[in-house]
Amino acid sequence: MNLSILLWLPLAAVVAGLILPATEARFAALLGSAAALVLSIVLLFRFDTGKPGLQFVTNKVWISELGIHYKLGVDGLNLFLILLAAILFFAAIAWTALRDWERPRLFYLWFGLAESGVLGALMAQDLALFVIFFDLMLVPFYFLGGGWGDTPNRVAAMVKLFIYTLVGSLLMLSAAVATGVLAQGPGQPITFDLVQLASNARRLPVGSQEWIFLFFAAAFLVKMPAFPVHGWMPDGYKAMPLPVLAVFSGVLSKVAAYGFLRIALPLFPDAAVHFQELILFIALASILYGSVLAFTTRDTRLILGYSSVAQLGFITLGIFSLQDTGAQGALLQAFNHGLVVAPAFFIVALLAARAGGSEDLRDMGGIAFRAPILAVLFLIVAFANLAMPGSSNFVGEFLILLGVFNSKIVISFVAFTGVVLASVYTLRLFIRAMHNRVGPHVESREISLTHGLIVAPLVALIVGIALYPQLALHRSQRSVQASIREAKALTQPAREAQR
Amino acid sequence: MNVNWYLIVSSLVFAIGAAGVLTRRNPLVILLCLELMLNAANIALIAFARMWGNAEGQIFAVIVMVVAACEVCIGLGLVVAIYRRRLPIDVDEIRELHG
Amino acid sequence: MQTSAWLILIFPLAGTLINAFGWRVLPGKACGWIGTAAIGAAFIAAVATFIALQDRAEDQKQVVFVAWDYANTVGVDGKISILIDPLSIFMALVVTGVSTLIHLYAVAYLWKDRGYARFFAYLNYFVFSMLLLVLAANFLLLIIGWAFVGAASYLLISFWYRRTTATTAGIKAFVINVVGDVGLVIGTFFIFRHSHTLDFLGTFDSASRDFAGHQGALTAGLIFLLVGAFAKSAQVPLHTWLPDAMEGPTPVSALIHAATMVTAGVYLIARMHPLFELSPAAETVGAVIGCVTLLIAGTIALAVTDLKRVIAYSTMSQIGYMVMGVSAGAYVAGLFHLMTHAFFKALLFMAAGSVISAMGGEQSMDRMSGFRRAMPFTFVAFIVGGLALAAVPPFSGFFSKDEILTDIGARGGLWWILVVGGYIGAILTAIYTWRMIFRTFWGDPCPEARDLEEGHLYHPEAPFNPSNGEIEDNDVGFPGPEHMIAERSGEMKIAMSVLAVLAIIGGLLQIPFVTDALGHFLDPTFADSNLDLSPSDGLVVVGLILGAGLSLLGIWIAYVVWVKRPGTSTAVRERLHPLYKLFVNKWYFDELINAIVVRPFAWAGRFGQQTFERVVVNGVFVGGTTGIVKAGSAAARALQNGFLRAYAALLVLGLVGVALYFLLQSS
Repeated sequence: MNLSILLWLPLAAVVAGLILPATEARFAALLGSAAALVLSIVLLFRFDTGKPGLQFVTNKVWISELGIHYKLGVDGLNLFLILLAAILFFAAIAWTALRDWERPRLFYLWFGLAESGVLGALMAQDLALFVIFFDLMLVPFYFLGGGWGDTPNRVAAMVKLFIYTLVGSLLMLSAAVATGVLAQGPGQPITFDLVQLASNARRLPVGSQEWIFLFFAAAFLVKMPAFPVHGWMPDGYKAMPLPVLAVFSGVLSKVAAYGFLRIALPLFPDAAVHFQELILFIALASILYGSVLAFTTRDTRLILGYSSVAQLGFITLGIFSLQDTGAQGALLQAFNHGLVVAPAFFIVALLAARAGGSEDLRDMGGIAFRAPILAVLFLIVAFANLAMPGSSNFVGEFLILLGVFNSKIVISFVAFTGVVLASVYTLRLFIRAMHNRVGPHVESREISLTHGLIVAPLVALIVGIALYPQLALHRSQRSVQASIREAKALTQPAREAQR
Repeated sequence: MNVNWYLIVSSLVFAIGAAGVLTRRNPLVILLCLELMLNAANIALIAFARMWGNAEGQIFAVIVMVVAACEVCIGLGLVVAIYRRRLPIDVDEIRELHG
Repeated sequence: MQTSAWLILIFPLAGTLINAFGWRVLPGKACGWIGTAAIGAAFIAAVATFIALQDRAEDQKQVVFVAWDYANTVGVDGKISILIDPLSIFMALVVTGVSTLIHLYAVAYLWKDRGYARFFAYLNYFVFSMLLLVLAANFLLLIIGWAFVGAASYLLISFWYRRTTATTAGIKAFVINVVGDVGLVIGTFFIFRHSHTLDFLGTFDSASRDFAGHQGALTAGLIFLLVGAFAKSAQVPLHTWLPDAMEGPTPVSALIHAATMVTAGVYLIARMHPLFELSPAAETVGAVIGCVTLLIAGTIALAVTDLKRVIAYSTMSQIGYMVMGVSAGAYVAGLFHLMTHAFFKALLFMAAGSVISAMGGEQSMDRMSGFRRAMPFTFVAFIVGGLALAAVPPFSGFFSKDEILTDIGARGGLWWILVVGGYIGAILTAIYTWRMIFRTFWGDPCPEARDLEEGHLYHPEAPFNPSNGEIEDNDVGFPGPEHMIAERSGEMKIAMSVLAVLAIIGGLLQIPFVTDALGHFLDPTFADSNLDLSPSDGLVVVGLILGAGLSLLGIWIAYVVWVKRPGTSTAVRERLHPLYKLFVNKWYFDELINAIVVRPFAWAGRFGQQTFERVVVNGVFVGGTTGIVKAGSAAARALQNGFLRAYAALLVLGLVGVALYFLLQSS
């Protein structure tokens, strides 16, 4: 199977859609993302769990002077994230297709470009290619938010978001260039191939690993976002249209977490071990700060936004436990969180539609009254979001915390506070929106069939993966172990010495 | 004849053109001065071509003339458009595109 | 046996799904009957499994069935597997048996409520979760069942979700239960770290080897497990959710908050007994907390006036006995009390529900009196439940409570302090139980009772919230335009009669010197126990006489205070005012938790929201980064002043500069 087809199909579809009449443009985007979804499902079935390393590799020389290759590949790390991206983009495009937008062809063009950009960042197996896609995927969101956003000050908010994340990206670009140059041994050609860079022959000296690692980490943490570099998040989240936000929050932040596993740990293991505690501390602060703010704010979007900060904190925590269990849980959690947060944003859209257009919790209440199906869908999403045991999110959190427990026990204890707080803010959101007395402007009505057809399958997926998380765990196990092997090996002697 | 004389003429014409561009505010005159500058360059090109005895300089000069013609077309079109919209015919007044 | 074992779980799940998907099409009481039938079928499946288990040899009575790999990766062996052994089957029988009766009761009690189908879907889901909890064969599945039970209880507590009091109680219950889940998870981590398996039997088999030299880790792990048990079983200090949980419909209180869910902690300790026996410290913690809880809850139950809350505090107190028992090694006695308590407490709640129905939803005992003649059936049920709870011979509660105390006494030494606490609790139990009965059924009939005697059931003018009395804007919730009391509903009568019989004869399983059916049955599970608690004959006899005497004394005190000399209670209250205030304010636990947990977090949230986010995050980080970029672009922008001649001048200058440079270079 050729990954290039999957990668460029969404973009090709929306470009073809430019010749369609403006009212029909949505179908081109829908078709493209549906095809990408089908292909990614095929990918899932044809993926060979028993085989180590990359599969379905496409490797072509792109810029030979700089040693940059157009190399795509799939392994256990990105298999499910590709699937996640395909699912969420399809759902979000389907959701946007239910209403009319101004300048629809342009709108869907950006949407399709966003999907291709995200898929590219997930599939890229060349450091330079990854950096390009990582930046490329942000551009469409700038225009989607600035052009079609919800708040009057959307352009300013998106500029803030764009500049802030771009600064991180530029740091990453310089770090990527430095990696390629410094890893070039005498007489060797320069290369950005991730597999080659991760091999021992190309390992960087510890000193340069450290600053390069920090640059990469900065880019990833801003994109996640992690405390305290999440400042773009509140305004940016408020500015974006909800379906756009669903994919933005659902997928883009996962690319950052994925970046740690794909790039930072295998390429810079010494630095990862050196900065383990720093990153763990940032992750912990994200969990606590995100949780506490999520139960103070009254804006439903921001509750989900801050909850994402906390959840991404858990994911980072798992990765930097530098334990198999933690990293495995983090990867599963990345998939789970994307799957949960997207329907949650869709539901916020539905709630706002029922509360007279307001997204403020104070204007909601009692929506469940005549909308039992909506209430059930929301309830399942809420339970999954707070990682109730029995959901796949719990398995993720369980493995993450087990990993942290085994490496840094005190940090894991503090992190457990985040688990309790998650139940507080999620239930608060659910209860104050759906239960209690009917709000002043609330008109309780059932979810419409079309909206239901988008949210219900997502919820069904949440239930499905909850019943059988092994589906994802089984396929990612080998790659995750490979990704953290070097870093983990470096922590072992330190621990032995401590005893 | 020494090529230097040609070059002196060329640079004099160029300087006159440049001074005109910098000092005059009427777009029409600025265009004229630009033409002067281009033609000064043409003189230099042809002088060099003659010096080396090959045709490349002349080809360049012909290209410059074509470019100049295009430029005058667009420039005069702009001037006419400005005139039609009854805007002041003064380059210092027309600065909407400032940052 | 494998089929029947899985069927125990499948039937309630099927009931949930049928009610959840069929709520719009199922007619009349169909939802209720489907729900009841599902649990009844699960009970039959449990009986079948029980019979199959009895046919096995003694040493083969612990069987594990695996369905599929759940999270079997990188050294973690999470599987969907159930453990069938006498303990789990005993629990399954109690849960399904009592639940069937409670469902039957609810068929009539909740009839005409708007959320009838929803209620039965939730109730079936709860039973499914509880069965998952007791049948789980590994820690992961145990935690899942544990949390499902918490979720189901949240859903049922805030069943009348348009009441703010109900949703607040729901979130409180849920969050405290999550604290318990976290305790359970941490405890699991501690144990898993050394055992390297999540499987129960695997952990127990190698426990003494795995934890040799890791005594501290084991004790820490067990204490965290106890946190989970305390949260679910409403033990001090994680008990505050239980009284508030009485916001839920009465069958919920009966099912969840008396008979099944709150006993999960007891089950957990009994299940983990091979580990607890390796750690005397953890045992002691469990037993002491159990004892403290039974005393605190008993004193509060003396002071509160809400009928259901009295029973709730009594539940806490009785669970305290069980926790104390199983922690001290009196496993069979603790589980025996769990069973008898399920019978008589469910009965008491059902009877209380009947009374509350007659009062039109009012729960305060201050407004009740003289229901004796108006509701004879409820009255008898209440008396039976009250006698069993007060442990009057030969009712079931007498034998079970007594066995716990004498078994602990057999350990001797400092354990005697707990026994004394237990006996003080026993007399408190008798007093508060009969205070409740005397205040509700004796005295002059209240208006509602008089109405009922004349043959019509009281309906309030407008629906109101019993906990704060405010009129409600909704048609969700009890009491609806029609509601039921036991006297008028066959289903409720049947359920209560069966439970009443069980409450009377349940003790026959374990009469000292006569029968030991339960102990014999549970023996395979506890065969590996190193504790041998066989109290001497003399101790048993003394215990029996003392227990009977104390409960009769308690009833007599209650009779004197609330019937013979009314007004005594007011006098006592005046006399011991500080004490009364402590009890009626529930020992200020709510205020304490509020002050040390809730307020700091809320303050931190406000600080973050209003100050930190604005000043540091937006000001320093975002403002700094975007500020630098913006300053740079502002400088670039300033050059674009739009003066054509300025651009030209710049161009010329540049050109001159370049020319000069080359000239200088060449010379």
